[in-house]
Amino acid sequence: MGDYVTIGRADEVVEGDAAAFEVEGNQVGVARVEGALYAFGDICTHQGCTLMPGGDLDGTELTCGCHGSMFSIQTGEVLDGPATQPIEVYPAREVDGEIQIEV
Amino acid sequence: MPPETVVVVGASLAGGTAVATLREEGFGGRIVLIGDEPELPYQRPPLSKTYLRGDAARDTLLVRPDDWWSAHDVETRLGTRVRALDPVARTVTIADGEPIAFDRCLIATGVRNRALSVPGADLEGIVHLRTIADADRIRSAAATADRAVVVGMGFIGAEVAASLRLLGIEVTVIEVFETAMYKVLGARIGDVLASIHRDRGVTMRFNDTVARFEGPGRVERVVTRDGDTIECGMVVVGVGTEPATDAVGDLALAADGGIAVNARLETDVPGVFAAGDVASHAHPVLGRVRVEHFDNAIKMGAHAARAMLGSPDAFDDPHWFWSDQYDEHLQMGGVAVADDMVVRGSLEDRSFCAFFLDDAGVLRASVALNRPKECRRSLPLIRAGASPDRAALADPDVDLRTLGA
Repeated sequence: MGDYVTIGRADEVVEGDAAAFEVEGNQVGVARVEGALYAFGDICTHQGCTLMPGGDLDGTELTCGCHGSMFSIQTGEVLDGPATQPIEVYPAREVDGEIQIEV
Repeated sequence: MPPETVVVVGASLAGGTAVATLREEGFGGRIVLIGDEPELPYQRPPLSKTYLRGDAARDTLLVRPDDWWSAHDVETRLGTRVRALDPVARTVTIADGEPIAFDRCLIATGVRNRALSVPGADLEGIVHLRTIADADRIRSAAATADRAVVVGMGFIGAEVAASLRLLGIEVTVIEVFETAMYKVLGARIGDVLASIHRDRGVTMRFNDTVARFEGPGRVERVVTRDGDTIECGMVVVGVGTEPATDAVGDLALAADGGIAVNARLETDVPGVFAAGDVASHAHPVLGRVRVEHFDNAIKMGAHAARAMLGSPDAFDDPHWFWSDQYDEHLQMGGVAVADDMVVRGSLEDRSFCAFFLDDAGVLRASVALNRPKECRRSLPLIRAGASPDRAALADPDVDLRTLGA
């Protein structure tokens, strides 16, 4: 088990949407879907575009705004498009109005 | 009966993706992948952008890593041409004379660049762009040139002009139509693209064309039909393409010059399929179309692989493609840009999604600049042949997913 770190305020991520946060020099996206938080590496593995903002979140499927690679933010796996490598995903939780992810 | 041997002609994005899909779908038979370039399948979009500017390494272009092909028992015959395809004997004969028998064959030979037949077109320093080798030639010319002429302002010309500007080179574009990317985007959106290039310092000469190139062995100037002379150290020509069909024997061709395939991507010869730029497919909604873009090459290549393994499904992708120029992201869905255009957002602000409707009000295409989400969300509507409400299309507060079919 890694440690949970606080990355931002919970109200920055509204239901059905995702936002990007800077975490120790890396960009991490956090989505809220049907109440649950999902954290993921925010850099597309195809050509390095940031997934959020600009990407399209539909349920837990996130499509990169640049070239259409689609990832599951639950598992990180590629669902469609040109990317062949998964994105990272991290356990996320909300504590006292803050978002924490396990790193 | 499942096939035993699949021969893929064209080590392209479509061909390579088809091979990868065959293995991912569990096909355990023999696969022979034939390519005329000495390269394993690679992605071409970066050749006019990040690779051209030196921002992307060669191995990042590969469709699958170097060692993937042998690890998956794929026989590659690279740097060789197909001499003949015999649909009766069911063999493909390559340059050294070896006939390779197949049960299923996929043609994914793509397109070749159209030549510019004017005096001086064979001077040194005049380059086309299709392959890694071409991109390397442009990079090497750009290393010493201060001024470049780009002939043609379609996708390739516009992207190369942007990349050369970002490298600090003075760029003049000569384009026969009235504005940038006119054939695919139409005049109004083409003008937006032209304004982006103008802001970046590109000189554009529309409604003009090249009369001749001049120089002592190496190109030094371009003389246009209107009689102007433009000094330059290099020229990149991007004046369109034609399907690479010379090796396909007697397969039926479509009016657009591509190999005619049915909705499941099979040609008029049973067991022979085509995918990617070279394939003119019978789309269930869009009619017969031939699309020369990246996303289509992947999706069509994968679909053809499944079709070769027996899938009866029609290929009904709505088609989606993009162009990155400077820091602007252009995306398009569908294929036909009709006259009737509904705009969401603002052309002037360079943030819009334009929807194109046909005479019956059916959404046929969308073009977005820096609004990727709306372009993507219009795809299901295009696929379904929907006729969405015009006011709703124009309203940025309406989620396109709610418009239904």
